[in-house]
Amino acid sequence: MPVLKSQQAVPTSLDFEDIKKIIPQRFPFIMLDRVTDILPGERVVGLKNLTGNEWFYQGHFPAKAITPGAMLLEAMAQAGIIFFHFHSPQQVGTTYLLGSVKIRFLQPVLPGAQLRIEVTPIKVTSSAGILNGEISVDGRLVAKGELTLGIKKSNSW
Amino acid sequence: MANRSHAKDHNGISSEVRKLVAEILEMEAIAISPDAQLVEDLGMDSMKALEILAAIEKRFKVKIPEESLPKMTTLNRVIEIAQQYARA
Repeated sequence: MPVLKSQQAVPTSLDFEDIKKIIPQRFPFIMLDRVTDILPGERVVGLKNLTGNEWFYQGHFPAKAITPGAMLLEAMAQAGIIFFHFHSPQQVGTTYLLGSVKIRFLQPVLPGAQLRIEVTPIKVTSSAGILNGEISVDGRLVAKGELTLGIKKSNSW
Repeated sequence: MANRSHAKDHNGISSEVRKLVAEILEMEAIAISPDAQLVEDLGMDSMKALEILAAIEKRFKVKIPEESLPKMTTLNRVIEIAQQYARA
């Protein structure tokens, strides 16, 4: 029985080096250490381990390190890029834009936390998508949101 | 196109869609001309188009195929698409 090309091409997990081949972000902005689940068109789950050495804790806040909500959103967006990469492989090499976001931060996230970032589709086309994002720490939901991501084929906008 | 002949549904869908479009394009509903070009005149991009489609789906509990997106050129066209699928 022939194996479909799309089935051949989809791994079930990604390590840090694999992730860097897909997302355009680089140090100090990579918010995924590992991707543990990839179900094209259905779900992506990633992990990020936060240490007290993260750059953003220097200023957020000097007296008490708390993970900025913007970085949690960034983690969801990067998981979204991974989602799109496997949902629309023909779009590889494109620019990803975040359009709109509705997000709720439910618990403070502190150094030492392992983020479990999950994105699932609400409505996705080949050039844009609305995704649900959830981040949990130790099984407890710390942030949930809805983000609209767009894909552009060129770097100009 | 049975919905088009139903005056009450027509009015309800039309005003609801206008509100949804206005909210996503961040405009006053009354300021949107029915025949204004959503992309050229009102700054709609592919992400906003998808948000409008998803908002209509959620509001009217319908599924609208992706192929409808390129047809969403004006508010009137969006209303027509919503009326085509909505069973409100």
